[in-house]
This record gives sequence, structure tokens and C-alpha cells, in this order.
Amino acid sequence: MSDQDLVVETVRDILAGHEPLLLDAEQQWDAGLWTALAEAGLTGVGIAEEAGGSGGELADAVAIVRTLAAGAGAVPVAEQLLVAAPAVVAADLDLPAPEEPLTFAVADAVTAEPSDDGDGPGRWTLSGTATDVPWAGVARHVAVLAAAPAGIEGSVLALVDATGLTTTRAVNLAGEPRGSLVLDGVPASGALLRPEQAAHLRARYALARSVQLAAALEQVLAWTVQYAGERQQFGRPLAKFQAIQMELAEMAGEVTAVTAIVDAAVQGLERGSPELPLLAAAAKVRAGAAVEVVARLAHQVHGAIGFTQEYRLHHLTRRCWSWRDEAGNEATWSRFLGAGVLADGPDGLWGTLTRLG
Amino acid sequence: MSSDALTLAPAPRSEAAEQVRAEVREFLAAELAAGSFSTHVDTWLSGVDPDFSRKLGERGWLGMTWPKEYGGHERTAMERYAVTEELLAAGAPVAAHWIADRQSGPNLLRYGTEKQRQEILPRIAAGECFFVIGMSEPDSGSDLASIRTKASRDANGDWLVTGAKVWTSNAHHSHYGIVLVRTSPADPANRHAGLSQLLVDLSLPGIAINPIRILDGGHHFNEVVFDDVVVPGDMLLGEEGAGWHQVTAELAFERSGPERFLSTYPLLAEFGRRAASTGDAAQLAALGRLSARLLALRQLSLRIAAALDRGELPNIAAALVKDVGTTFEADVVDEVRRVVDVPASLDSPDPLGRALAEAQLHAPGYTLRGGTNEILRGIVARGLGLR
Repeated sequence: MSDQDLVVETVRDILAGHEPLLLDAEQQWDAGLWTALAEAGLTGVGIAEEAGGSGGELADAVAIVRTLAAGAGAVPVAEQLLVAAPAVVAADLDLPAPEEPLTFAVADAVTAEPSDDGDGPGRWTLSGTATDVPWAGVARHVAVLAAAPAGIEGSVLALVDATGLTTTRAVNLAGEPRGSLVLDGVPASGALLRPEQAAHLRARYALARSVQLAAALEQVLAWTVQYAGERQQFGRPLAKFQAIQMELAEMAGEVTAVTAIVDAAVQGLERGSPELPLLAAAAKVRAGAAVEVVARLAHQVHGAIGFTQEYRLHHLTRRCWSWRDEAGNEATWSRFLGAGVLADGPDGLWGTLTRLG
Repeated sequence: MSSDALTLAPAPRSEAAEQVRAEVREFLAAELAAGSFSTHVDTWLSGVDPDFSRKLGERGWLGMTWPKEYGGHERTAMERYAVTEELLAAGAPVAAHWIADRQSGPNLLRYGTEKQRQEILPRIAAGECFFVIGMSEPDSGSDLASIRTKASRDANGDWLVTGAKVWTSNAHHSHYGIVLVRTSPADPANRHAGLSQLLVDLSLPGIAINPIRILDGGHHFNEVVFDDVVVPGDMLLGEEGAGWHQVTAELAFERSGPERFLSTYPLLAEFGRRAASTGDAAQLAALGRLSARLLALRQLSLRIAAALDRGELPNIAAALVKDVGTTFEADVVDEVRRVVDVPASLDSPDPLGRALAEAQLHAPGYTLRGGTNEILRGIVARGLGLR
């Protein structure tokens, strides 16, 4: 068994004790699941030990995120392992203890101004409101990608302690917290990112959601195949009807395509490809498009039971419907990708597509 | 789900493939500049140019993966993938040799006698010997096992062949066909039994090749009629009665390549030029959506090439990729139309209008040839454990 298999097994064992939750105002996340993951050292995987993480490769972190996504675990692990923690470490900021949830916010409406509060260099004052913040109200720390002061190119990555901040509650279609944080004159340590570094970080966020989508879509397909094999109508399992087989095969085609492009984008991240933004864009666009087909057909095959809160399917289909919107939806990333594949000029499309992998 | 049949390991990056890709790209740019061909859509069906095929043979880009003793070059499937992909993207005239290089050669390599291999494979690799597929018949399309073309041994041990094959692409330019025939009476209890493959020289007496025109008026398809054709006894391919098994293996090669998502790439390239010149947001978004799909398909197709290099024959994964890929080929037309107002016409002064016309008029074929998408989804469903 490889290290990665071992990590996946550990996450699965932990998940087995934590059924997916129906999230609401009282129960905004799965604190018990988080604690179990943190105690096992899994909330610092992929982050070097000297930076305060628990070591391991990016591939291990991806495997953890995939497993949790397929299990509809309501914890900010994708944000922490794949986006916020690597960004904080790369920006030479002090990483909070991995046991404390750290999330990520793209906050174009928040401006960072350099401040001299006597706390040394790299101090900034943030002002504005960060919206659509994953796990707002749950995460102890937020890595905020804020606008740089007027006249300065790039963005500022600031590490904010969310304790005591005014938070407006909002949730996505699956009930996961996506509220706003009011940052009025909030002091924070931070670092100026060049535009390409900021673009890289946005791409990481999109890729993190794509990784989650790929895993969730695979699981939705598996559940649907299983259900079609069990549910009997007209004296035989649904799976024996050709109409159902066509639908499941179409779902399989979508899921397989998503996995392939998401894997390629993860490999791009692993090898430090300068093309990461285009690869992540392709992954996010492809995954988002697949949600249309896979979620629709999964519900169609499941029939009315899949339309209820008592059955498991919604834990993943509602997440898929939201994750495709988050970190930039297909409208945003397809324009970005369309412009990007033409970067080498009108005759450069093929060269760029083949260079991307 | 029993997903093993559907999922393939990611393809390793191949430096050798990237090197040969660059060589092909340079060759194609020079040929285009010299006016030796012009770019068209779906040229692996319609672009017949024996001279061009010979040039590819001279450069070692046909029979690439075959043993050297048969004129091959012992290169990897990944390298062959890069070559075929570049040729398709350029819309180069590759139809003459396409079937021979893709599936007839590998079929001969697997099942042919030593004599058959020695005689034919070096000529295919040289770009001098072209093949047709003899599977479908007027009354047998998706239900291939129902074919009625019959072959029986005569007193000399030769085969007497009677029947008709249809949709035989470019039979009128080809030297041989691998023809699926019934060699013993149909057995309702085992429909796949009693079929065999014959290697048929298309110049034999008794063979009539009648054109069937497709929607754009092009002559690629034919009906090939066999009227008591005497095929020498040593032209049986593989084992008598094993035709179904052999044809299934052949279909893995037929279904797995980049021509299953790149047939309309020249239209996408033309559309890219348009989007670059207008900078229109809707056009860029459409280009982005199509690029995302194409990039995913490339990854899948590369995985299949890597699986072939590992000696696997990924039938089910190939069926899945062909389903997703050919759907994409047709969708390119629809997506482009939604964001540009250019009438499709073969006479259009606008290259985008011409590419749209070519792609639209060929579109019904993408999801039919090599197994309809319905048949492919049935195979995928089997892979999912549903049947």
C-alpha cells in the first residue's frame, strides 16, 4: 500500500464515523469530523514540516480532498490544504496551526494599505467587505486576496484572524457557509503578490473546486449505478433498461473526461507549470459542464427518492451545483481560457493546446 | 462501479513524442507553404492523396509501431499518437493510407501469416498500399453479426465469395480489403460463431466497386459487390471461425485514436482565428468551452495510447472516448454557429463559412462510423457492470 493509499484509508475510516450532515444555522459544519482529521495530522498534509505542516506531497493533499469531497465532509479542508496554507507559506507569512481551520477569500472589494503599526514590516490594514467567503464564521483564519493600494500592480495576500469580525451569514446550495466578512480597518500581516502570482492563486482555488467536483461526480455516478442495479420496476432492475443504460453511459463519459483534465491540471500544479491558470480554467470549465449532465441524469435515474432530504444523493448534487459556481464559474473561466489559448496569436491555437498537455 | 475497464492511468510525458511532433509540424508547414495540400475538415475520410501518403512513408511516419522486419519503425504508440494528431490538426490529406496504417496493418501483424505480413506490411509502411474495411452490409449495420456475405471453400481450397459490403471508404483508391464473411451457416444459439476474415485483393475478377455519394457530393463511400469472387485459399486472415474475435480487436484500434475528436479541428482553428480578430467575449467563451472539452479528450486519448504501449487493448475505454469525442466533433459546429453569423457554404468567400459547411455536411457521420454512439454506450454500460 502506498503512502497515498494509506492516507485515503485513514480519511475513509474517519469518514465512516461521520455521516454527511444536513447543514443549517445551528450546525454550520462538521466540527467533529474536523477534529478527528486534525488529530490524525491530516489538516497539514502537503505542507512542509518546517513551515508548520505535517509534510507529504501535493498528491496526498489532493487524495484527502477527493476522499472528503466524495464523502460530502463539511470541513474546510480543500480551502486549507490546496489553497490557503500553500499560499500563506509561499508568501512567507506565518502559517497558523493546521488544527485551526484556515480558509481563503478572493476579495476584490477589499483594499489593503500598508501600515506601520509598530509590528514590523509586512503589516497591512484592510478595508472593505469580503463576500462569498467559504466557511465564514467557521474558519478561525482567512487568507484574503485583497486589492493592492491604488497605483500598485498586483494583489495583497493578507492573513486575517477572523475572531470577533462581523460576519453576515449566507450559505451555498448545500448549506455550506459562504458569508461575508466585514473588514473595516482590520490589521493583518500580508505580502504583495505580483499579478501572475495572484493569477496562480486564483487558479489554485478553481483547481481545488475542480478536484472536489471530480470526486463528487465520480461518487454520484457510482451511487447511481448502484441504485439502478437495486431498484426494481416492471420486474427487473432499472439497470437492465436500455434507456437507463444510455443515461449511465453518458454520465460515465462526462465523469471520465472530468477526471482526465483535473488530473492533468493537478500534474501541472505539481510540476510548477506556468500554464497552471489555463489548465485550471479548463478543469473548472469541463467539470462545471459535466455537472449539468451528471446531476440531472443522476436525479432522473434516482426518481423521487433522490429529490428528498432523507436520501443521500443531495449531499453531493447540491454541492456540485454550488462548487461549479464558486472560484469562478464556466462563464468566467471559459472567457479566460478562450483568450489564453490565443495568446500566441491567431495561428497559435494548436501549439498552445498541445503545450498544455 | 466496476470502473477499472473505464479508467486508465494518466499517460507519462514522452520526450520522443514531442520530438517527432516538432518534426511533423515542420514538415506540414513546409508542405502547406509549397501548396502541396490545403487544409480541410475530416480529411481522414475525404483527403485522398497517394503522393502525400508516400511522403509520410518515406519519413517513417507510417507503420510506426511495427517491427522493423515488416517495414515498421518500432516506435511507441505515444509517438504515433503525436504524428497522427498533428496530421489531423493540420487537416492534411491522410485518407489514402489511414485505414491501412491504423487497423489493417495491426490486424495483419496480429493474425496474418508470415507470407501475408512480408508481402503487405512493408508496402503499407511505405505509403503504397491502401486498405478498406469490409464489415457493414446493406442489411447489417450495428448488428454486425448478422452479415450475409458468404465464403465457401471450392475444390482447390480457394474461397468463393458472394455478397456486398457498404460504406467502404475509398475502396476505389484501395488495394485490399479485410472482409468479414460468413464461413459456416448462421447458428442462432451462437451468433458470433462461423465468421472469418479474408484478405481480399480488390482487383480480383468479380468485384464491382460502385460509388455512394455522401451529403456534400463527395465520393468516399462505395458499395463493393462480390460475385463469386475466387479468393486464394491462403488469404484467410487468422483463424477460420474466429472472425468475430478478430474484428473486435480491430475495432479497438479503429475506435481509440485522435481522429475520434479531431475531425472538425480545422473548423475550430478557423474559429480561433475569427475570435482572435474580433476579440468578442461570447466567441472567446465558446472557444474556451470547446478548448476545455478538447483538452480533456486529448488526455483521455493519450491515456489510451499509453495503454496500447503497455500492451493493453482497452476496448471499453476506447468506446467511451469515441462516444465523448465524436459528440464533441459535431458540437463544434453548433457552438461556433451560436456566436458567429456566417452562412455555411462550400462556396463561401469566408474560410470560416467553408469550414462550417464541410463540418456540417460531414457531421452525421461522426457519431455513426466505427460503431454508433448507441452501440458504444452499450459497451460502456457493460463496463459499468449493467449488462
